[in-house]
Amino acid sequence: MMLSARIAARELRGGIRGFRVFLLCLMLGVAAIASVGLVRGAIREALSDQGAMLLGGDAQYDFTYRRATPEERAWIDDHAAAVSEVIEFRSMLTRGAGDALETALTQVKAVDGAHPLIGALVLDPPVPMGALGPEGGLPGIFLDQILADRLGLAPGDTVQLAGQPFAYRAAITREPDSTGAGIGLGPRSIVALSAIEATPILAPGSLYETEYRVILPEGTDLDAAKTAAEARFEGAGMRWSDSRRAAPGADRFVDRLGSFLVLVGLAGLAVGGVGISATVSAWIERKAETVATLRALGAAGGTIRAIFLWQLAALSALGIVAGLGLAALVVVLAAGVIEAALPIPVTIALSAGPMLEAAVYGALVAAIFALWPLARMATTRSGALYRAGRGRRWPSWPALVLMAVLVAVLLAAAVAFSGLVGLTLGTFGGVVGALVLLWLAAFGLRLLARRAAHLSRGRPALRAALAAIGAPRSEAAPVILSLGLGLSVLAAVGQVDAALRSAIQRDLPDVAPAYFMIDIQNSQLPEFLTTLDTLGTVDKVETAPMLRGVITEINGQPAREVAGEHWVLRGDRGVTYATTPREALTAGTFWPEDYAGPPQASFAAKEAQELGLKLGDKITVNILGRDIEAAITSLRDVDFSTAGIGFVLTLNPAALQGAPHVHIATIYAAPEDEAAILRRVAQEYPNVTAIRVRDAIARVSEALGTIARATSLAAGVTLLTGFVVLIGAAAAGEGARNWEAAMLKTLGATRATILRSFALRAALMGAAAGLVAIGFGALAGYAVLEWVMEAQYRFAPLPALAIVLGGVLVTLTAGLVFALRPLAARPARILRARE
Amino acid sequence: MTDTILSLSDVGLTLDGNAGPVEILQGISLDIEQGSSVGLTGPSGSGKSSLLMLMGGLERATRGSIQVLGQDLGAMDEDQLARFRRGRMGIVFQSFHLVPTMTALENVALPLEIMGEADAFARAEAELAAVGLGHRGHHYPSEMSGGEQQRVALARAVVTRPAVLLADEPTGNLDAANGAAIMDLLFGLQERHGATLVLVTHAPELAARCDRVVQLSDGALA
Ligand SMILES: Nc1ncnc2c1ncn2[C@@H]1O[C@H](COP(=O)(O)OP(=O)(O)OP(=O)(O)O)[C@@H](O)[C@H]1O
Ligand SMILES: [Mg+2]
Repeated sequence: MMLSARIAARELRGGIRGFRVFLLCLMLGVAAIASVGLVRGAIREALSDQGAMLLGGDAQYDFTYRRATPEERAWIDDHAAAVSEVIEFRSMLTRGAGDALETALTQVKAVDGAHPLIGALVLDPPVPMGALGPEGGLPGIFLDQILADRLGLAPGDTVQLAGQPFAYRAAITREPDSTGAGIGLGPRSIVALSAIEATPILAPGSLYETEYRVILPEGTDLDAAKTAAEARFEGAGMRWSDSRRAAPGADRFVDRLGSFLVLVGLAGLAVGGVGISATVSAWIERKAETVATLRALGAAGGTIRAIFLWQLAALSALGIVAGLGLAALVVVLAAGVIEAALPIPVTIALSAGPMLEAAVYGALVAAIFALWPLARMATTRSGALYRAGRGRRWPSWPALVLMAVLVAVLLAAAVAFSGLVGLTLGTFGGVVGALVLLWLAAFGLRLLARRAAHLSRGRPALRAALAAIGAPRSEAAPVILSLGLGLSVLAAVGQVDAALRSAIQRDLPDVAPAYFMIDIQNSQLPEFLTTLDTLGTVDKVETAPMLRGVITEINGQPAREVAGEHWVLRGDRGVTYATTPREALTAGTFWPEDYAGPPQASFAAKEAQELGLKLGDKITVNILGRDIEAAITSLRDVDFSTAGIGFVLTLNPAALQGAPHVHIATIYAAPEDEAAILRRVAQEYPNVTAIRVRDAIARVSEALGTIARATSLAAGVTLLTGFVVLIGAAAAGEGARNWEAAMLKTLGATRATILRSFALRAALMGAAAGLVAIGFGALAGYAVLEWVMEAQYRFAPLPALAIVLGGVLVTLTAGLVFALRPLAARPARILRARE
Repeated sequence: MTDTILSLSDVGLTLDGNAGPVEILQGISLDIEQGSSVGLTGPSGSGKSSLLMLMGGLERATRGSIQVLGQDLGAMDEDQLARFRRGRMGIVFQSFHLVPTMTALENVALPLEIMGEADAFARAEAELAAVGLGHRGHHYPSEMSGGEQQRVALARAVVTRPAVLLADEPTGNLDAANGAAIMDLLFGLQERHGATLVLVTHAPELAARCDRVVQLSDGALA
C-alpha cells in the first residue's frame, strides 16, 4: 500500500466524529436527488411500458371538429387489425328543471362498441360496456363519481347530457386510457357513440375531437405506419400519435418537473457543499500541526495532500452510499403512498440509473467543495501552520483549474442527465448567483460589523456580537451561505408561486367574466342574446364566431421552420372573423365592412412580433381541412390576460364564407346572479357548454399548488441540509463561545448581556441570509414571471417576511442551543483549560 | 487597625476529576488587608490558581466562606458575581485572555462599557498610554507580542480602578526584561491607586516585593 494511503487509514482509525456534518450533508443531498430520480424514472417507465394502454391502442389518428370521411375510415380500417372510434368533447350535464335545475360541466367520451381496445374500464357497479346501449328506451351513461354525487344520481336515474336524456348506469372507477395529466375542465362522462350521432352535439362547427385508435397488424413498424398515415392524410388536419409517446403532455410534464426537482436537489447538495467545505477547513485547521510536523519530518507536499485526499475519498464514498441507502429506504417505504397518488399505475422500484446520477452529483460536489480548503492549505507556509491567525492564501493555479474543470463536468453531467439545457443552466446560474450574492452578503456583513464597531460604544453585547461576526475566522460565511442558499431556494419557490397566483387573480380584475360559453349555434345566437337580455342580471355579453385552425405556412414556407417553436403554432388555435376590429390597431388598416377581395388577416401585435411577422406577410391557415392563405394587413393590441374574448388571428368574413362554425360568448354578471343565469341557459340551450371562469382559475391554481408543493418539498431538503450546516457551525463555535462567555463574566458581564450578544450575532446573520434570500427570490420570481410566463411580477411581501423571520429564528435557535452550556459553565474551568 | 478586604475562612474546594472527586484545597483561612500586597507561592499543582479563582468568584468553594469587601461570594449567583466584580476586581491571567476579535483599545474599554460608563474609550486610551501602548490601540492581539498583550491585559484589569487586583503568574510567559517591566507596572498601579494585590508567582524575588507571602502546599496553607 502507498505510504499516503497507510497514513490515511491510520488517521481514519481514530473515528469519524469530526465529519458528522460532512457525512450528513452529503447523505441528505444524495438522498434527495436519488429519491426524486427513482420516482421520476418509475413514472417514465410506466408511461412508456403502458404506452399502448394509455393511448388506448398502438396508434391513434386524431381529427379536430370532424369525423373521418367514409374513404378515410376505409383506409384506416385497411391498415389496422382493430379500430375503435372515440369522440371527445365538453358538455353540460343537467338534472331537474326550473329553480331546482342542477348542472355540471363534463368532459364526454363517446365510444363505439370496440372501446376499449386494450384494458378494461372499471365500473361501480361492475356492469358490462353494453350497459351504454339503450335499455328501457334510454341510452346509458357512465359518470365519474364526483358528477354522480354532485347531481345526486343513483344508478337508474335519468340525467340530461346536452339536453338529451340518458340513464345513469355506473360510476367510473378507473379508465385504462387516461393519464389524468394536464388540466381537465370537468370530470369524465362516457356514452355510446351511437347515442349522440343523431344529436346536434356533432353539428358542423361544434368543438369536438375524433380519435381512431388502432391495433396495428402483427409486425407493423411504427415509423413506417406513421409515415404512411401522414402521407395519406396530408393536409387533412390529422394528428398521429403512437404508443412510443402515448402521453406526450404527461411525459413532458413528468420530465420537466422531475428534472427541475433534481436540480433543486442539486441546490441542496450545494448547500451541503458549504458544510463540506467548512468541515474540511476545520479538519485541516485541526491537523495543521500534524501537517507542519510531517513537513518538518521531510514529507513532500504531494504526500501530505494525498493523505488528505485518501481520507476525503473514503468519507465521500461513505456519505454517498449512506445517501443512496437513505433514498432506497425512503422510496421503498413511501412507494405505496406515491403510487396511490399517481393517476396511472406505476411500480416504484430501485433502479441503478437514478442512483448512479445521484452518486455522480455527490462525488462531484464533495470534490469541488473539499478541494478548496485543501488547495489553500497546500499554499500555506509551514511556519504559518503553527501560528494561530494563519495567513489565508489563494489556491494555486493548477488547483483552481482543476476546480473549474470539476464544475464544468458537474454542469455537463446535469445537462446530460436532465436533457434540458435551458432549465439546467438557469438553475445552475441561479445557484451560483445565489452563492455569490450570499458570499458578498457575508463579506459585507463582516465589513459592516468592523466598520460599525464604533456605533456599539457603550453597548458591550452589541460590540461582542459585531466583533465575533467581523473576526477573521468568524462563522458568518458558512452560516450565511448555507442557510441563505436554503432560504433562497424556498423564497424563489414562494415568490414564483405567490406571484403566479396573484397574477392570475390580479389579471382578472372585477371585469373578469363569470362564464365562458361555447358551442352556441349560428341559428341560436339572436335568441340566446335576447334570453340573456331579458334576465336583467347580465351586465355585459360579448360574442364572437369561432373556428379552429392551424397556421401551417408563413410566406409559403412551413411555419415552424420559419418561426420556430411558439405556442401560436402549436396545434390548432381559435380563429374568428369580424367586420370591425375588437381591439385597437397598432399598425395597418382593417378591411372595410363590405370587403370581398382576397383573404386578409389581422394578427395580435405582440405574437406577430415574436413570430417575426410584419404587415404584408402571407400566412396559411388550415381550417377544417381547407387551406386559406391571407395577407396580414393590420396588427392589434390583444390582451390575453383579461379572460375576455381575444383572438390571435382574425380574418375578413368573406374569407371564411360558408365554413360551418359556432359562437363563443363571455358573460359578465355579479357572482350572486351566476347560478340563475347558468340554470336558464342550461335549460333553454342544452347544447351550449358553460365554463365557469372562477372554476377554471381554481383548477389552474390547484395545479400550480401541486407543483409548488412538490418543489417546496425538494426545497425543504435544501433547508434541512442548511440546518445541518448551521448546527455544525454552531457546534464548531461552541468552544469559542465558551471562552467568550467566561471572559465576559470575568469582566463583569451578566448572563443576560452575554445571551443578548449571542442572540444578536445569530439574528444579524440570520437576517442577512434572509434578506439575500428575499432579494434572490424576487429576482427568480421576476425572471420566471416576466420571461417564462410573460406575466407581470409583483413582490409578495408575506412569504418574504416569513423567510426572513424563519432565517432569524433558525439561526437564533441553533446559536442559542449551543450557548446554553457556555452560559451555565463556571468561568474558572474554561479559562483554566486555555492556560 | 486596617480593614480586612478579603477574608477566607476554612475554605475547601473539591472538583470532579475523571477518577472521582479530587480534593484540591482544604481548610484555608486567610485575611488580607486593604491596600496590601500578598504573594502566593507554592509548588506546581499546589492549588495557587484555584485559590485565586475562588477569590475572584470564578470558582465556587465547596466548603467554607469567602468574603470580599464584606460580601459573601458563596451567597451570590453567577450574575450577582459578575455584577460584583464590576469595578471592584481586576484579574490578570498568565495567558492574557484578550478577546482576539477586538482591538487593544476595545479590550481595555470593555469592562468600562459593561459597567455602562460613558467615557469608556477616553479612559481606556489613557490607561493604554499609561502602560506604554498609547500608539497600539487599534491593533488586534494577534498583531502584538506576548509582552504587549500582557500589558494590554494589565490595563484592562486596572482600568476600572478595582479595589482588588488578582494576578496569576502574569510574567510566566515573558522574558526577564518584559517580565520585570510588567511587574514594575503592577506594583506601581497597586501603590498609586491603593489597591489590594494578590500575586501568584514562582519567583522568590517577586514574592519578596510583596508585603506578605503566603505559602501553599498540597492544597493547604503551609
Ligand atoms: N477540573 C479539574 N478537575 C480535577 N482536578 C483539577 C482540575 N483543575 C485542576 N485540577 C488539579 O488541581 C490541582 C491544583 O491546580 P492549580 O492549577 O490550582 O495549581 P497551581 O498551583 O496553579 O499549579 P501551577 O503552578 O502549575 O500553575 C492540580 O493538582 C490540578 O491537577
Ligand atoms: Mg496555576
